[in-house]
Amino acid sequence: METMLFTERSIWTMLHGIVLGGGALMATSAALFSLCAMRTDHALDSALQKQARYLLWLTVFTAVVLWLTVLVGTYVTFPPYRATPPEGLTDLSQYPRSLIQSNPRTVWLHSFAMEVKEHLPWIAAMLSTAVAFISVRYRSQLLSDAQLNKMATTLTAICFGLVSFVAILGVFINKVAPLE
Amino acid sequence: MVTIEGKREEVANGAALASLLAAGIGAFAVGFIVILNETGLFAAPALYAPAGGVSGRTTLSAVIWLAGWAVLHNRWKNRQIKSRGVHLLSMILIGLGVVLTLPPVWKLL
Repeated sequence: METMLFTERSIWTMLHGIVLGGGALMATSAALFSLCAMRTDHALDSALQKQARYLLWLTVFTAVVLWLTVLVGTYVTFPPYRATPPEGLTDLSQYPRSLIQSNPRTVWLHSFAMEVKEHLPWIAAMLSTAVAFISVRYRSQLLSDAQLNKMATTLTAICFGLVSFVAILGVFINKVAPLE
Repeated sequence: MVTIEGKREEVANGAALASLLAAGIGAFAVGFIVILNETGLFAAPALYAPAGGVSGRTTLSAVIWLAGWAVLHNRWKNRQIKSRGVHLLSMILIGLGVVLTLPPVWKLL
């Protein structure tokens, strides 16, 4: 019988971590760069209107992808991670949390890394939603109003830091106990 | 907003500050609910059993965030507000929210 190259759990993990999480990380960094690079004093410039439209779509995309990452992580990939193995089972490879906790050297991957991953991304998603909202409501004013621009840039920078931190923790966990 | 003459009107900053402060409230709610759970004072019920308590904690935080945002938006959307205080408060709330989700902090309590 032919075995599957990737299991469904593995595909969901890749979707969560690489497609959505990676996409969110790239989009956040692009939004951060754009907010800084497109900043201007010329509010009526037609080129600025076009740039603001691109930025609007970028920030909305960032928020949507980040929320998808968070929701897939919480409701699709986290349940199999935390599943309890049957009593007496010695091969824990299908039970990542138990596998991590069975080795004193890797316990921190649950007690710190996964605990952080459970909650911190929700904060990042809230921050990115605020930036997307500001971008939609204020359009080019976001690029010409120094205070608005600073606010959105700060939120995006915090968001980028949080997403990067959570992403690297995810990589550590997946290296030791991948969902397969 | 663009007027008939093609000139751009400045939109009052209230809505932006409402979204900023609401994000701070949401972030703090995440951290605060996590701390309540870790100290055993309050455990949000699991809304999706396979995901466990995190589903209840995060959903409750999201509800607080959205409710706070709705209230602030309705009050501030057409107002021009001094932003310095709101910025500062939001950053403090976001910072606290982030710190309270870190397990080493739980052990200090």
